[in-house]
Amino acid sequence: MSEAIQRPTRLVRKGTLWVGQFEAMASPCEILMSLDAREVAEELLQLAASEAWRVEQKYSRYRDDGIVPRINHSNGQPVSVDPETAQLLDFAWQCYTLSEGLFDITSGILRKAWSFQAGAAVPNAEDIAALMPLIGLDKAHWQSPDLTLPAGMQIDFGGIGKEYAVDRTLAQLQQRADVPLLVNFGGDIACNRCPDPEQPWRIGIEAPSRQGEALEMVAVQSGALATSGSSYRYLLSEGRRYGHVLNPRTGWPVEEPPLSVTVAASTCTEAGMLATFAMLHGRDAEVFLEKQEVRYWLVR
Amino acid sequence: MKRLIPAVLACLLLNACSSLGVQAWERGTLAKEEMQLVSDPLAAAFDEHIYFSKEASSGGAGFGGGGCGCN
Amino acid sequence: MQLMSNKRKITGLLATATCSLLNQNAVAQEIPGWYVDTAVLGYTEKDRVDAVEPVINATRIFDDGAKLNVKFVLDSLTGASPNGATISDQIQTFTRPSGRGGYVTPAGELPLDDTFKDTRSALSANYEFSLNRLTRLSAGLAFSDEYDFTSIGFNSSVARDFNNKNTTLLLGFAYESDTITPEGGIPVRFGSVRLNPGRGPKWEDEEREREGGDEDKTVTDFLVGVTQVINQRMLMQLNYSFSSSDGYHTDPFKVLSVVDRTSGRPLDYLYENRPDSREKQSIYWKTKYSLINGNVLDLSYRYLWDDWDIVSHTVDARYLFDLTDRLYLEPHVRYYTQQEAEFFSHSLRSGDALPQYASADYRLGAFDGLTYGTKLGYRLSNRSEVSMRLEFYDQRGDTVGTPIGIQNNYDLFPNLDATIFQLSYSIRF
Repeated sequence: MSEAIQRPTRLVRKGTLWVGQFEAMASPCEILMSLDAREVAEELLQLAASEAWRVEQKYSRYRDDGIVPRINHSNGQPVSVDPETAQLLDFAWQCYTLSEGLFDITSGILRKAWSFQAGAAVPNAEDIAALMPLIGLDKAHWQSPDLTLPAGMQIDFGGIGKEYAVDRTLAQLQQRADVPLLVNFGGDIACNRCPDPEQPWRIGIEAPSRQGEALEMVAVQSGALATSGSSYRYLLSEGRRYGHVLNPRTGWPVEEPPLSVTVAASTCTEAGMLATFAMLHGRDAEVFLEKQEVRYWLVR
Repeated sequence: MKRLIPAVLACLLLNACSSLGVQAWERGTLAKEEMQLVSDPLAAAFDEHIYFSKEASSGGAGFGGGGCGCN
Repeated sequence: MQLMSNKRKITGLLATATCSLLNQNAVAQEIPGWYVDTAVLGYTEKDRVDAVEPVINATRIFDDGAKLNVKFVLDSLTGASPNGATISDQIQTFTRPSGRGGYVTPAGELPLDDTFKDTRSALSANYEFSLNRLTRLSAGLAFSDEYDFTSIGFNSSVARDFNNKNTTLLLGFAYESDTITPEGGIPVRFGSVRLNPGRGPKWEDEEREREGGDEDKTVTDFLVGVTQVINQRMLMQLNYSFSSSDGYHTDPFKVLSVVDRTSGRPLDYLYENRPDSREKQSIYWKTKYSLINGNVLDLSYRYLWDDWDIVSHTVDARYLFDLTDRLYLEPHVRYYTQQEAEFFSHSLRSGDALPQYASADYRLGAFDGLTYGTKLGYRLSNRSEVSMRLEFYDQRGDTVGTPIGIQNNYDLFPNLDATIFQLSYSIRF
């Protein structure tokens, strides 16, 4: 096992709250705690940071000794996974089925053909077609705890990890101290309850077109919010715009995805999945979200 | 297109699982140590031993470990 | 490409999938690692028994959730215990159960046998693991040894979750085998106790008094329990237990006074005699409720009955509240009441035919027990805690049957006042 991640953390007092800050999963992370004792706040902050770093490290695609590279380099051989990974694979499998293949943890291999760096070109149809046999979670054999991934295929938990870490962190903090808490990992948020019914948590939802400016202030008492964005990464070719949200069933960008979708749900994992599914529905994102009867904020 | 937001979101959150009991994310309070059925196992075992040796009743809550010649 | 899925509502299924994803490690005590609890119990009865009981309990939780628990207890007991004889207005003299020496009880005092001095050591181990996501199996062994008593036991249980882990059904089984080897042998049932010559009835034939070296007892227990999560703040448990024991239930150290049918003064002392089997059943209900301010109420009730005609009720209430972020207080009240065993008697009347069974052991009599006290705990960190507990336990008995002669002048039940003190330290590695 490689060294556990250690990065700086910061604890500041804002009004009646302690605010803990650190960085994890390439995002600024923040914990809001409604309590007085500084040492308890510090303990909660350390607990939150170590859980976020643990999830980041465990599911990193890059750490050679991690479970993800082990699966990706298994070359068609079965890999026996730990219980937590098994739960995540079960969940990924259910999301694949629920989204009829739109959400697919094996789709990351499309990065080999698609680059959205400045100056990158739109790939050839042949390059995409060559990758398609390596995409599709249904090609893998999953019999918990053994996963057999055909040679050449890859998985990653990038689409689940952050929201999962938010929910897990909140649950762990609440076990330690049953006080009003809000966990915010790069805009994916979950809270247990607010300090006072008169004073709900106020969360600003950013408009991607005016970064940094709150589009809307949302009052939340408990529950979670997660956002999926197509941001500015796209290629322009022959007057056509190719966004970075790729449809794993075609290998090509989803047509007319919203700029950003924020969904409210009971857990961050659920909210994140609904936002991601909506994004993958492209121009039908609103139709999909209306059908789900959830609260959402969508920017085109 | 975007929607207007009422002040209190919590009331509108979906509760999609079955209605009996609670959902996984609602277990925060139940998961606390003091909410376990036997929150202090050592004290429970001591008490079981004391009352076993001083009263004609024992057991019921679960299994104690190890007999005793005191009754 | 035209998608079908935008016409479907998937939130229900997605919520279910999320439930099972986040359910893992929901309980704080299930984080893998070592958990070590140490404690020492001091138990002191006014004018009677003193006990000191240190314990060490270590639990290892493995990454797959399996749990191994090992516990070691030492229990050293000294002091005096009522021997079963009734109070008299005359001096009473007894031989020790071992047959060596004797002791004298002054007039008007409860006869106490002051020879209790014993050290018990008990070792138990338990292993619990998940058979699948919903089923847990557990198996344990227990061994206990003291000077004149040995016990060996085995237990096993299966717990299965239903209804999104909101309902848990538990089935348990336990078996225990005990051997008692009292110093001086097993007394003859209803045999006369050797007395100091010159006072009361004469000691008869020593050879007829004790039957043999040891006796056995086996105990088989069954338990069916349901635990139900009611809501985010409340859970309940309901258990039914059946316990069947076979073998030697008599206490070889306890006697019964045979008293004059008019004066009530002792004429003889006989060893007691209890049935060779006992079937005991109980219903146990418990609830835990977390108030909105985080305080926790723990309430339980047990109804127990057996084929010796003992019926008991136990009500137990604890209320845990935080004094600061780290310091908490947990007051505790317990009320117990039992009805006497069918063969319980304070004494036997001279001239009456011997009953089939008889015992004057106050623990088989009718009495109420009240426990009150508090626990004070301090959380040193999220991994360690110290606590102390101070409680008082009082037993007040009822007179069973009609007192004879001088018995009317005394409280026939040996009232008991005990103090319980416990100091604990827990740490997780």
